[in-house]
Amino acid sequence: MISSPSETGLDAATAELLAGSLREVLTTNLDGSGLGSVLEELGWDEVLADDRAGATTLLFVEHGRALAASRVLDDVLLAELAPSLPAPGAGTRVPFYPLGTAAPVTPGAPLAGLLLGGLDGVTEVVVPVALDGRVELALVPAGLVTAIARPAGGFDPASRWLVVEGAVDGLAEHTLPDGGAWERAVAAGRLALAAEIIGVCAAALAIAVEHTSARVQYGRQIATFQAVRHRLSEAHVATESARSVLAVAWAAQDHPDGGVGAARLAKLRAGWAQAEVMRHALQVCGAMGLSLEHQLHRHVSRAAALDALLGGHRALTEQLGTELLAGADFDRVVEI
Amino acid sequence: MTGPVGAPTLAGPAGEACADGPFAEDLDAYRLALRDHLRAERALQRFRNRRYPSTEARMADHAGLERLLYDGGWNRYGWPSAAGGLGGDERHRAVLYDELAAAGLPVPGQHMLLETLGPPVVRFAQDLAAAHLPAYLRGEEWWGQGFSEPEAGSDLASLRCRARRDGDTYVVTGQKLWTSHGATATRLVCLVRTGTPESRHRGLSMIMIDVDAAGVTIRPVAMANGDNELAEVFFDDVVVPASRLIGAEGQGWAVAMYLLQFERAMYAWLSAAEALRRLRELRGQLAARAAAGRTLPADAAARLGEAYAHLAALRARSADTVRRLAAGDTVGPEASVDKVLLATAEICLHDTARDLLSDEFLFAAEDAPGVTAPAAAAAVAAGCFGEVAQWRTDWWFSRSATILGGSAEVQRTILADHVLGLPKETKR
Repeated sequence: MISSPSETGLDAATAELLAGSLREVLTTNLDGSGLGSVLEELGWDEVLADDRAGATTLLFVEHGRALAASRVLDDVLLAELAPSLPAPGAGTRVPFYPLGTAAPVTPGAPLAGLLLGGLDGVTEVVVPVALDGRVELALVPAGLVTAIARPAGGFDPASRWLVVEGAVDGLAEHTLPDGGAWERAVAAGRLALAAEIIGVCAAALAIAVEHTSARVQYGRQIATFQAVRHRLSEAHVATESARSVLAVAWAAQDHPDGGVGAARLAKLRAGWAQAEVMRHALQVCGAMGLSLEHQLHRHVSRAAALDALLGGHRALTEQLGTELLAGADFDRVVEI
Repeated sequence: MTGPVGAPTLAGPAGEACADGPFAEDLDAYRLALRDHLRAERALQRFRNRRYPSTEARMADHAGLERLLYDGGWNRYGWPSAAGGLGGDERHRAVLYDELAAAGLPVPGQHMLLETLGPPVVRFAQDLAAAHLPAYLRGEEWWGQGFSEPEAGSDLASLRCRARRDGDTYVVTGQKLWTSHGATATRLVCLVRTGTPESRHRGLSMIMIDVDAAGVTIRPVAMANGDNELAEVFFDDVVVPASRLIGAEGQGWAVAMYLLQFERAMYAWLSAAEALRRLRELRGQLAARAAAGRTLPADAAARLGEAYAHLAALRARSADTVRRLAAGDTVGPEASVDKVLLATAEICLHDTARDLLSDEFLFAAEDAPGVTAPAAAAAVAAGCFGEVAQWRTDWWFSRSATILGGSAEVQRTILADHVLGLPKETKR
């Protein structure tokens, strides 16, 4: 049975204290510099051991709220991948994030994916490879990836991400059995990303509430107009439903699939929520919300980029539906 | 695992039936025993994949299902022994709905209003609960909800149906409209005005009225699908004992607000369980069509996935609300989130069915006037007689998800006012 998602270890006062410290460092240093030492000061390893769900959600919600662009998500994936990899030695590893539904790379096909930052100081990129129906991990020297990487431009230029596009020779030649690690890494990453998207959504909704409560037209605050109020309510519903699914997904770790299905659902619903929240927030903030000087556009862009990481909500919805059509169980997801 | 049949409900020393059943304190044992029972019990088989020509036929047949569940003790959990139950809390009821749906069985139609009307009667009118709830659980009677009126829909506090105190009785005069299950229920739980016409929500009372009382006239209101889900009720100097009050005179609004918690939590959970069963059935129907060589719409997977995701989100939210209710917390305005999610999931599910069954949904001949006997027989043989017709019927009912029990607009306004704390709408 899945336990109540409210039974997490962090009490409200501790959570608020931790959130405050994280908020301070993340808003001061958007690139995440200083985050490591703050986490150390807070005794983050202990906090994680105490309440992995609560701590991870707290960290990534704040990361999203601040629109930070650190590589802390890499650590979440690497923690799951590490048991299947040799000790890293002196170098630094980073995981590769395939585009689409985060499926492992087919040998011979060009890579298409993202890295969460530059390759300076990185020695190896961990790439999942699909071999005869199983997944193996390739440790690709960073130099080979540098040749086919470029800074991500496009919708969210503040992301600091790299786009990797192109072939890497010999990808399938020196791979290691992953023992299910890639699937677990994707699931862990999706839980963190769902929280991060929820953080961006909460911040955008707060901006929209503040704007519509202050902005006066026709002699009244525009938040008194029903059309505006109802959009904001819908944004709230979308965000809250993403929170509920995320809590359930964390509580699903003892499910027969290890919580992989529930983690995908949490990411899917967070992705859907950001589409709803941003649509409504943009509308009620009017032309101001479209301007470069206003902060809203940064939330819109970041939420869309985070949605695409480890599987966008539309791709995941179609993947889920395809499995259902093919006869997959209708998991009840949650029991009382 | 033994079933709860023969559970100890013997009279105590004072002659009161007061014992809880063996599963009252063990939800997991209840769940597993119930799951085994629903899987194995052959008498339940006839309720699977069953379609009915009318609401009346469905409610009458479901009364038989209710009786079977009562005899096994299963639907008595979640209700106090003083009201015919076997103890336990809301979670037992939620598990019953979930396990029924997972076993491919319908939740008896009677439970829709049992979940909204039962709890306030148990809480505010113990004598009425003791007198009538056992018969409800046995499937022998069920109640309708008489709140809305021609001039009081979303604006419930403007209702005018009047109850005048006369000694030990009330004399009720007026009209109700959109009364759920009004066409088949034996009693109506009505919100009536006992205060002045201008008293709004302060002058309301809740009272139980028998439909066979002198002066009650019921006119079924057919929905667009032809089903008499609702009714119009006229009260012409109907004399009702004052003992039928649920809560004190003038307390009607508070009772209605108490009731609303169960509508938001339990009815949403019940509906989500049913919807998940229906989505599973839809998948089976689509797979059968694909196997027969028919091409499904190109977006079938995406649509099915979307419907499932909406339902999963509703369940995630609703489970927490049910637990809070069972723990004795007050479920407040934030539960409008649940109501919005329920409506979204129901509308999405039924639009998915309509669009993926496409031409069949719109034009199928199976229930057309003058359908030929061989065609009908072939459909029966193929096991799909009426399955598309059922989706059409349900599609219309699903449209009520954003209207009944507080419209979509009311829910969003509650969230804007009480959860987001936006400045209030100004009166024009």
